[in-house]
Amino acid sequence: MQITNKYSEEELVKRLQNQDENAFSYLYDNYAAALTGVITRMVDDEHLAEDILQETFVKIWNNFKQYDSSKGRLFTWMINITRNHTIDMLRSKGYKKQQKISDDENVVSNLRDKSSYIERFDSIGIRKKVQNLKPDQKIIIDLAYFGGYTQEEISKEMKIPLGTVKTRMRSAILELRKLLQF
Amino acid sequence: MNKEDIISSGLLELYVLGETTEAETTLVITMCNQYLEVKTELLNIEIAMEQYAQAHAMLYPTAVKNNIFVRLNITDNKPVAEQKLSPIVNLNKYKFFAAACAALLLASMFINVFFYNKAKNADNKIAAIASKMEIIEREEAEEKEELNIVRSKYSLPLKMTAAEIAPKDADAKIYWLTNTGEIFIDPSNLPTPPKGMQYQLWAIVNGKAVDAGLIISKDGKTLKLQQMKTFGKAEAFAVTIEVEGGVKASKEKPYVSTKL
Repeated sequence: MQITNKYSEEELVKRLQNQDENAFSYLYDNYAAALTGVITRMVDDEHLAEDILQETFVKIWNNFKQYDSSKGRLFTWMINITRNHTIDMLRSKGYKKQQKISDDENVVSNLRDKSSYIERFDSIGIRKKVQNLKPDQKIIIDLAYFGGYTQEEISKEMKIPLGTVKTRMRSAILELRKLLQF
Repeated sequence: MNKEDIISSGLLELYVLGETTEAETTLVITMCNQYLEVKTELLNIEIAMEQYAQAHAMLYPTAVKNNIFVRLNITDNKPVAEQKLSPIVNLNKYKFFAAACAALLLASMFINVFFYNKAKNADNKIAAIASKMEIIEREEAEEKEELNIVRSKYSLPLKMTAAEIAPKDADAKIYWLTNTGEIFIDPSNLPTPPKGMQYQLWAIVNGKAVDAGLIISKDGKTLKLQQMKTFGKAEAFAVTIEVEGGVKASKEKPYVSTKL
């Protein structure tokens, strides 16, 4: 999605802190699809994914005062809430993230396949650039970013030493930044 | 830890991914507040990851937004009307007959033109009349075909409603022949696309937007009922504005859309 610059991030945050309903509507329109992308990669059940999306936005609205822009960008905060809430929901429903990993040998390829599902009339340019990531680099990013995998889980999943997860992650994201020119 | 160390450590990346421990989080925030370089590096990682997430955005369930707003008891001044289901049952008979009548009227107008032309030119160029007749007959046949499509018992009419980027009264109608999967679109209520631009229809199949063909305009005017690509199944249809000739995958927001 091309985010229409109706509000600057600073302005959006300020409005949301003042419980501005239009700003919340704008927030939803601009970020719901991206957050849905995260949830859908972690949850197979469509209805559960819907519930999680709903709960996540309720949380964002209700807890907006806790957002502190000195600790990072709004989206970083929102995606963290989304990921954590999704993990919590999966746990409470009896799924265990850990189990999902060990039960499903193909989890890595699942993540990869799902990411081709997308389509929201947008971001195709970015997606094309992103496709130039090496598979290993994409997997390590996706496991953490879309899968909520911890460093330990990534190390186990990718069969790489725990100590190298951090540096591998850095070089993968550096490559991503190079592709996106950030 | 100095600023170069924290930048190269991979901690900033893990922080953005929500993977740092409490102590690491505190360290990252402290370093960011202390060094502009660290802060800038963090910001760039964040922006890149945000773009990455947006690139993996997915269609979201449309009812959710309303549910949230109802739950939070806040009013949404910008309803997601553009995504709303336009139930087939609601496309009432009047609209259907109105469409049929309009088509009939058009057909009769063409016949009028036909006679008018015939009378006017009869003395002059019989050849010219003949060629005009041919065109008119073809158009008449097209009209008839259009009526058949609209009237077909297999025809599933779908009204596409205007998204927020479109004028409120913009719409388009799809007639989906359920027996053959053929799709026809009547784009006559779409505004004339800007120069060098063209409407393109997309079918959403399994959550993926599939090109359903370009909507043809002639002399700046959008042609009436025209056949698009054939689909056996689809969850939704949307029209976007693209550069002339269309695109393989759209970056644009839907202009008008409907959901099954």
